[in-house]
Amino acid sequence: MEPDDDLQLHELLREWEAPNAPPSLEARVLGRRVAWWRFLLTGQIRVPVPVGLAAAAALIAMGVVVARDRGRGAVQPPPPETARAIFNLKDFQPVQNARVRVIRSGYANQ
Amino acid sequence: MTDPEFRSAFHGHKDVLYRFAYRMTGSEAAAEDVVQDCFLALWRNPAAYDPDRGTLRAFLLGVTRNLLLKRWRRERPHDALEDDASLCPPADLEGRERAGQVARAVQMLPPLQREAVILAEFEELPLEEIARATGADLAAVKSRLHRARRNLRRWLAPLLETKGTTYGT
Repeated sequence: MEPDDDLQLHELLREWEAPNAPPSLEARVLGRRVAWWRFLLTGQIRVPVPVGLAAAAALIAMGVVVARDRGRGAVQPPPPETARAIFNLKDFQPVQNARVRVIRSGYANQ
Repeated sequence: MTDPEFRSAFHGHKDVLYRFAYRMTGSEAAAEDVVQDCFLALWRNPAAYDPDRGTLRAFLLGVTRNLLLKRWRRERPHDALEDDASLCPPADLEGRERAGQVARAVQMLPPLQREAVILAEFEELPLEEIARATGADLAAVKSRLHRARRNLRRWLAPLLETKGTTYGT
């Protein structure tokens, strides 16, 4: 390959000029350098829509499960008065005239 | 790396990185994203740069190049990085602006040839620095450059002919 060929190609290629970095790049780079602890407080992340929807659905499902478990594990309320009255023993009295009758086994066989 | 050092690195190399990314992708938005990621990588892990292994420019070009190739593989998982099947007849460039024709021809190159020609022809980096930036040995860089120039001569033959030289197939 002739050196002139390379030179000609080089000159032709140089006709394609690329722009320098835009000013917005400086803000994006120098403005985004934050310490990790500051990022935890003020940082933002972009989340794809499907991931966001899945995370929201998972949170809702967890909330439902937790609420249901709380309902099951809660202390039962005391029974109402009517129910307690059924088991009230205040009218229970001992037998007044108890007649003891002894049944022997021989008699039973007759 | 201190803040002034980082600022100095940014101002010293942002343009070469941006032009490189722009010529590799053909997109201003993509170039801005890639260069931003490159500098953030430097900020987060400045120890990754070892001055004994080359210049900061070569290191940053290498980071940018890796980000570009990652992007390339994500967008075109089945395309080869170094593919010489692109030896096709001269493109029909008639009626287009010369600079646009050059841009189109460069972007038709396989990525490894394209990065070599961009760094050598446009940024005029020495071959050793290109080798460091691309993680290749000198012979590989020369070979890629040779093939890239051969392809470009072929594709841009109509434009080169107008300058008095005819390039056959």
